[in-house]
Amino acid sequence: MKKIILVIVFVIITGLAVRGFRGPAPGDVEPVAAVPASSRLSELLGADADAGFPLALEPRPFRFPADHGPHPEFRNEWWYATGNLDADGGRRFGFELTLFRFSLTPDARPDPSAWRTNQVYVGHLALTDVVAGEFHVAVRYSRGALGLAGAEAAPPRVWLEDWVMAALPDQDADREPPWRLTARDERLGIDLTLTPRKAPVANGEDGLSRKSSEPGNASYYYSLTRLAVTGAVEVDGSSHAVTGQAWLDREWGSSALARNQLGWDWFALQLDDETELMFYQLRLDDGARDPMSAGTWVTSDGVAHALGADDVTLEVLDQWDSPQGGRYPIRWRLVVPGIGLDVRIWPVLDAQELVTNVRYWEGAVDVEGTRGDNEVAGRGYVELTGYAD
Amino acid sequence: MPVLYRASSGYLLRHPWQLGLALIGICIGVAVIVAVDLANDSSRKAFRLSMDTLNGAATHQLVGGPGGIDEGIYAELRRGGLRRAAPVVDGRGDVQGLSLNVLGIDPFAEREFRHYSLAGRDERSVIDDGARTARGMEAKALRQLLAEPGASLVSAQAARALRLGLGDAFEVRAGGQARNAFVAGLIDAGAVGQLLVVDIATAQDWFGLLGHLSRIDLRLSGDGQAKELRHRLPAGITLLAADARTQSMSQMSAAFMTNLTAMSLLALLVGIFLIYNSVGFAALQRRGLIGVLRALGLTRREVVGLVLLEAAGLGVVGAALGVGAGIWLGHGLLELVSRSINDLYFRLSVTDVSIGTLAVAKGALAGLLATVVAAAGPAWEASGYRPQLALRRSLLERRSGRMLPWLAAGGLASAGLSLVVLQLSGHSLLAGLVALFLMILGFALSIPLAVRFLAEQGARLAAAVGGIPARLAVGGIATSLSRTGIAIVALAVAVSATVGVSIMVQSFRGAVLEWLDETLRADLYVGVIDGSLDPGLVEDIARVPGVSEYSASRRVWLESEQGRTRMIVLKMAQRSYAGTRLLDADPDEAWPAFERDDAVLVSEPYAFRYGTRRGDLVTLETPTGRRDFRVAATFRSYDVNPGSLLISRSTYARYWDDPQIDSIGVYLADGADVAAVTDAIAALAAGRQSVELRSNRQLQALSLEIFDRTFVITDVLYWLAVGVALVGILGAMLALQLERARELAVLRALGVTPWQLGGMVTLQSGFIGLLSGLAALPLGLLMAWLLIEVINRRAFGWSMPVVVTPAALGSAVLLSVAAALAAGLYPAWRAARSRPALAMREE
Amino acid sequence: MSDRDVHVRISGLTHSYLEGGRRHDVIRNLDAEFRRCESVALRGRSGSGKSTLLNLVAGIDMPDAGRVLIDGRDLTSMSERERTLFRRRHIGFVYQAFNLIATLSVADNVRLVLELNGVAEREAVKRVGDLLDAVGLGDRADSYPDVLSGGEQQRVAIARALAHRPTLILADEPTGNLDEASAKVVLGLLRRLLQREGGTLLMATHSQQVAASCDRVLDIHDGALVER
Repeated sequence: MKKIILVIVFVIITGLAVRGFRGPAPGDVEPVAAVPASSRLSELLGADADAGFPLALEPRPFRFPADHGPHPEFRNEWWYATGNLDADGGRRFGFELTLFRFSLTPDARPDPSAWRTNQVYVGHLALTDVVAGEFHVAVRYSRGALGLAGAEAAPPRVWLEDWVMAALPDQDADREPPWRLTARDERLGIDLTLTPRKAPVANGEDGLSRKSSEPGNASYYYSLTRLAVTGAVEVDGSSHAVTGQAWLDREWGSSALARNQLGWDWFALQLDDETELMFYQLRLDDGARDPMSAGTWVTSDGVAHALGADDVTLEVLDQWDSPQGGRYPIRWRLVVPGIGLDVRIWPVLDAQELVTNVRYWEGAVDVEGTRGDNEVAGRGYVELTGYAD
Repeated sequence: MPVLYRASSGYLLRHPWQLGLALIGICIGVAVIVAVDLANDSSRKAFRLSMDTLNGAATHQLVGGPGGIDEGIYAELRRGGLRRAAPVVDGRGDVQGLSLNVLGIDPFAEREFRHYSLAGRDERSVIDDGARTARGMEAKALRQLLAEPGASLVSAQAARALRLGLGDAFEVRAGGQARNAFVAGLIDAGAVGQLLVVDIATAQDWFGLLGHLSRIDLRLSGDGQAKELRHRLPAGITLLAADARTQSMSQMSAAFMTNLTAMSLLALLVGIFLIYNSVGFAALQRRGLIGVLRALGLTRREVVGLVLLEAAGLGVVGAALGVGAGIWLGHGLLELVSRSINDLYFRLSVTDVSIGTLAVAKGALAGLLATVVAAAGPAWEASGYRPQLALRRSLLERRSGRMLPWLAAGGLASAGLSLVVLQLSGHSLLAGLVALFLMILGFALSIPLAVRFLAEQGARLAAAVGGIPARLAVGGIATSLSRTGIAIVALAVAVSATVGVSIMVQSFRGAVLEWLDETLRADLYVGVIDGSLDPGLVEDIARVPGVSEYSASRRVWLESEQGRTRMIVLKMAQRSYAGTRLLDADPDEAWPAFERDDAVLVSEPYAFRYGTRRGDLVTLETPTGRRDFRVAATFRSYDVNPGSLLISRSTYARYWDDPQIDSIGVYLADGADVAAVTDAIAALAAGRQSVELRSNRQLQALSLEIFDRTFVITDVLYWLAVGVALVGILGAMLALQLERARELAVLRALGVTPWQLGGMVTLQSGFIGLLSGLAALPLGLLMAWLLIEVINRRAFGWSMPVVVTPAALGSAVLLSVAAALAAGLYPAWRAARSRPALAMREE
Repeated sequence: MSDRDVHVRISGLTHSYLEGGRRHDVIRNLDAEFRRCESVALRGRSGSGKSTLLNLVAGIDMPDAGRVLIDGRDLTSMSERERTLFRRRHIGFVYQAFNLIATLSVADNVRLVLELNGVAEREAVKRVGDLLDAVGLGDRADSYPDVLSGGEQQRVAIARALAHRPTLILADEPTGNLDEASAKVVLGLLRRLLQREGGTLLMATHSQQVAASCDRVLDIHDGALVER
């Protein structure tokens, strides 16, 4: 019987341990659906919270290693490594490891909790297994607090949990330090050492890379265009020793795309004559190329030459339909008359689309063509955004 | 339908009230079972569901000591590559008087665990699973959650109740402080109902858990990973399976629910008597018919089959009605059950009865079986009628009269068996309940014999006082025992339950009152709802003029793989010691050990449950690993399962890093003015913390209020049993009257007035009530004893003296008489109105 | 009398009951034989043992000693269930108090025994109609017993007793509750039907007149049978 009882849960000693449960008062307020969904990383990170972030307005000299580290006052920033790798037996891989840093608000307010921060990190890890015809992706997020994720300048190091990009100490302080990239997920992993073959080059106007005619719609942007890679990649539990070449982009700013810009196509090509070409074209909603599209050509001795929109012509030869929807250009003819370059570019695998919070295509490509009278070939990475949504 | 069945069922259709009463009996019995089951199930399910929602996809959880788990451990695990881990800081908050679950989370880690879909839009989530995070993520909501203190995702249910819309600011009372919050998003919280989801930083601040987490949710791929992880964990951190943890939390209320179920079985038991009564009477009534059928060549087995089939038909209809009524009743009961669970065990918000097929099937089947079993006896008896016509009543009564001693002997055996079960069953609650039912059954079987004796004596007395009509009325009870006996038994059992339960409750209440008196020694108690006192405030209160000393307490749960242990940490005031009564130790030895050595005290329920005694060791999980503590004494306590441990503040401080104080008891200096000190404390707290300030009287009143509230369900259930018994009396009286219509008609023909006739029937009912009431007393007392000494003890581990007041006994007899009189009103009215000519012809 | 002609044979039948601790012999060492298709009246005063004898012959009651053979089969050696089934099949009853089933219509009362004997529905309907016509109640088939007069009720009872074509009909004061005129009608019907359907009749009565209508009359006196 019931007995239930009771009790008073030691009321005594505790004093007030007991509280009555009160039911909800009848209400007639219908929940209002929240804000419309956004589909772009840029929006997620706050198009309406622009005010207060410093803008990239003036060129500035880069200082290393300090600039390898974070610039938290800017809204977004990334460490963006891509590369083409070869393993024994003709096995070939492409990799991408990108760590994004975002500021949610212009300033970090002090808070008693160690968890509070305005810094958010997102990581993308992708591995293209060319022979197997497979493309693997892993994504991570974390707040930049409690040591879960963060970036430091001295020595340069950026990490998201156990995904780390860190400059290795080097005896020769004048030389660009090598980087070690380690990242692992359930089905894939990389552990690579990247040794720079050339000094960082400033893109755009002494490093100020303008994305539209509007002042401030720009970022600071430098690249390490050729790094020798050694290390290992892991796919589905088996590890492969690899060598190859990588490219490291560093960019930070507070702007997003302009309203009439749909997305961009970015090319980073490493040719076998020891030159590199970077070119991005910003696509407008009327189908035209934004005149602010630009690139950089790096000579074999490491000298950078800026390219304007008109210096480069790009012809789409073929397209690829994503199973997720959206149609991407997939083969091109790229011509830079000023340096006599005329090459065709095609992906090592069509399906190199990252289906993450934002969908974009980023993949390893092969290049072949002529420069002047000579034949050139090479490898590279292409990024295509704004086609999926 | 074959002619044969028509011949039989035609009788019931021609006596609809008899049919109706039988149906009501079955219906109420089934309804109570179903209702209690549904209420229990729904509460349990609501708890599970809300735990499941709150646990999300977690397979395991890491918990620390009372102070939580160091947040650095989480970062370390993450950086070590452990992917599926989510930190949680949780607590309760109060918004405009509405108490909410507050869940502090890291939105990024959440993706693997919980899914927060925005209210009203399935396709969108604030934090989505899989790879689509940003797409589904409400960008602004997420950004606010992370970056802005107080940003909250509010469950749609809570938002509705609080009339909050997106972006609205509101105040949350958490940890005794008012905090500013605003609605960053509305979410569908499912079973949790009232929920506030905030960023972990906000939650840490609100609940004073800076640097700590309440737990870490994990999704582990298997035992291997769990084992491997367990090895890596620092001391003081425990890895628990989420299911087991939920289980052990919901187990807390198991005894409570078992008792409710037993109560519902009592209603069914009374219902069975009633069914037996109705079915048996219907069979008796048709002995003529059965005789003819037998003469026509119906075999005994065919007669039994016929009666049973009919009973089964009744059972099906009655059970169906009972299920419907049970579902309806379940709604009301659920409220009572969940309120008690909230009062006693854990937070529960049950919004609706979940109608479990099992509960319904169980109740319906119980009703059906009870009906068939109840009908089996009468059916067998009826089939034994000799196939001849002039079976005389006197013969029948003589036969049933002969059975009475045998019944009584069976009853005695049942009672004896009950005692044997008690002796052999140790601490089993279930066995205790079985013994209780055996005892009830034993008594019930013996009642008819006692009634015959009493009625015969009563008839002599009645004749002396009221002449032949009175003699006829009272004597009729004894001579028609085959009809009235069952009704008397049913009423007696129901009334005895009221005696037993009310004595138990009275005794219990007395014991609790005394215990509260003894324990609530301080003049004032200061605490914080769902939170801890600001240490600075405690120091300031100690310095208020008029305050001579204070005791401080903290209640924590220690969790291990073996389950949860409630520990109460006490800093005693000089005057506090006398408030805790030690049951098995010399206070002069136990208290110094408690204060200076690593000794603990165990509550009586704890000692009972775990068989712990003074001098034993209990093993507790401390931040530095497991440690043994010696039990210095057992103390009296009426706390709920599973009992608690008492530890001194100084011992606690040696092993645990948890300076929090939940509440303090303030002792005033001689001559200090209570009101002045109260005001001074209130003034001190103003602006710092919203504290609850109560005098010991208020606290005692509050405790008793909860006590009384808990027993409301008991009341409801036993009144239902009384209701069933009432229906039984009504049925028996009507049946008797039908049977004696001719006799009554003859009386009328001889010149007895309608009033006299009505009076006879009323007298008869009243006497039945009296007999039932008297029979109920010994059973009631026995039941009280069993409830207190066996059921209460086994279910909760409490002991208390049995207190019997004459009022409890007297009111039970009164209740019984009044109930029987009420039930007899209609039959009396009918008897008075009967037209003698008609009645004589009808035969 | 050859065995083939003997329908019912009772031998050494004794039955007593206890009342107030004293033993009363109702029937004492009784022997008798009844031929096939014979009608026999059992005459005696109230309490003389007529009803008891009928119950014993029907296998409703069991004798303390002696045997009851019907068509050569010994009822006293059968189990209760066998006796019941035997009765169902071979014996028809007519009672003083009619004992119609109040909850069934006239037709259903008759049909019940057919149903118990497993007679097919169509055949049963036909037989019920025939019999009710024969007893002059063809138009009352759907009435309930309580609206019939005593004579009518007894006519229904006769129809019921004969419905399954029993070979033995036991009648216990079938006209005891009837006025003279009704009694005559009932008796006439009973005899006519017996002739039509065949069957042995054992009828207890205390009426001289009724007894006179039978082939044989036996008096029961002090538990013994005396042929008249």
